[in-house]
Amino acid sequence: MNLAILFGGASYEHEISIVSAITLKEKLNSLALEFIFLDQDHTFYYIDASKMDAKTFSSGAYKKLPVLHLEQGGFSQKGFMSAKHLSFEKVLNLIHGADGEDATIASLLEFYKIAYIGPRKDASVMSFDKFLTKAYAHSCGVDTVSYELLTGQRESSIAFPFIIKPTRLGSSIGVSIVKNKDELDYALDVAYEFDNRLLIEPFIEGVKEYNVAGTMCKDGLKMSIIEEPQKEEFLDFDKKYLDFSRSEQVHEANVSQKLKAELYAAFTKIYEPVFEGAIIRCDFFVVDGKVLLNEINPIPGSMANYLFEDFTSLIESIALPVSKAIKVNYTYLHSIRSAKGKA
Amino acid sequence: MAIKSFQHAQHTYTIAYEIINPSAKYDLIILHGWGSNKEIMKQAFEPYMSTFRHIYIDLPGFGGSTSHAVLDTAEYARILESFLELIGAKKEMIVGHSFGGKVATLLSPKLLVLLSSAGIKLPKPFSVLLKIRLSKIANALGLGILSKAFRAKDAQSLNRIMYETFKQVVDEDFSSEFKKFPNRALICWGEEDTATPLIAGQKMAQLIEKNRFTVYQGDHYFFLKRAKSIAQEIEQEYLK
Repeated sequence: MNLAILFGGASYEHEISIVSAITLKEKLNSLALEFIFLDQDHTFYYIDASKMDAKTFSSGAYKKLPVLHLEQGGFSQKGFMSAKHLSFEKVLNLIHGADGEDATIASLLEFYKIAYIGPRKDASVMSFDKFLTKAYAHSCGVDTVSYELLTGQRESSIAFPFIIKPTRLGSSIGVSIVKNKDELDYALDVAYEFDNRLLIEPFIEGVKEYNVAGTMCKDGLKMSIIEEPQKEEFLDFDKKYLDFSRSEQVHEANVSQKLKAELYAAFTKIYEPVFEGAIIRCDFFVVDGKVLLNEINPIPGSMANYLFEDFTSLIESIALPVSKAIKVNYTYLHSIRSAKGKA
Repeated sequence: MAIKSFQHAQHTYTIAYEIINPSAKYDLIILHGWGSNKEIMKQAFEPYMSTFRHIYIDLPGFGGSTSHAVLDTAEYARILESFLELIGAKKEMIVGHSFGGKVATLLSPKLLVLLSSAGIKLPKPFSVLLKIRLSKIANALGLGILSKAFRAKDAQSLNRIMYETFKQVVDEDFSSEFKKFPNRALICWGEEDTATPLIAGQKMAQLIEKNRFTVYQGDHYFFLKRAKSIAQEIEQEYLK
């Protein structure tokens, strides 16, 4: 399969996306890969595989590489008289955060009829905003941690310690644990820098956390092993960043058959309604034996490749949802004309 | 990073700041120079002085902080004063580089640390005087574009408000402010500094009553490579 990896984006996670792309270049080396970089000003660049290293981006050297333009069915490189079309079967949307996960890229690719692996528009809207994710999980019959929404307020009714999260950012950016009143003001200034809506959740000390990834394949839903992520209090930006370049296989978490079945059932309930076409990772908490959804990562770091035994064949067997083409045949306008006796 | 917006003299200021070692007991406020920002200061000092709560601030109009008014240094200090009160920071020790040194002086911390501070007026070199004359002639002839070419490097690419602010602050003579400074000061200088030459530092040391003056190898940004020894110097001075 010929896969085009789309990465970068105007996002706080821009650099993480570059790390993910470099990681997947190694991990998927048996596939024919093309690399498309989206810079922060929304220009697409064709990056030759030999130039896929951190320096190409940090030094700005990518600006000298060929610019790509979107066109129906794909991307092309415009020459003096002709255009060179980039050839690939599917795009892998690897833009973390804004652009990639907020439905912008999904909309663009759908508009230009380009096949892609990644969350569709509705899936993006539900998972990008942590506040909407809560509502979505509840309607799917999956519980979440209790919460309060702040839209500019500077106090919360939730007891200390609690955790503050911007509603529309991933990778722990702007997230703080607030242990007492003295720490609140700075934590709010940090979080409100990134978003005008914040989520407050009780901080549960020593909570058990489990991650499950999965995707719909041609022969049904494939789910990964269950991972118990290693953590200190929580992964901050720097630690998550390292997490994004992971490629080594992880060990399956030691959980009871019952809990395992519950985690897989919760993942299925979340995945099935809207996530077809995407490889997602759901992060769950287990509190008093109850499975709670913490968050949905519709484009997880390096696509959570380390949770799957054979990531390459997983990518090759993903089932993409088919959207129904709308046919305009002007029946209605014709009928008006005949009614007026003009046909 | 964090931001805080507040009202001061009928203007809204948004100040970008960052706190390192949030649970440390003593406050260390760090102010950058003209055209610089808190990241540069943080890059130098973050690894050191871990017993202090570091507060890095972007001055209005620089880095992530906004300014919609023409300011002089005294107004900068008043804005900072309100901001420090809002975040509950104590003026125990303030480090200021270049222009930030002037702001730090006006804030009267218990211990003032000046890194190649601005504020001493030296006679202008002939080349600068010539540029000013030519630029005034060009302006008089309606050739404003030409006069832009004579602007200081620090003033180029500034928006109108910040250019007016630059003109306000660049020529201020702070001799009497230094002379009035009541507390202790540590003055650090780069030997090969051309923006604020060593002689300005020597004058400053004559003006401030209680001070210690140390010279380091390096230019106007000498502290980037000498942060470790400067930090030791600061800690020693603070413990006195």
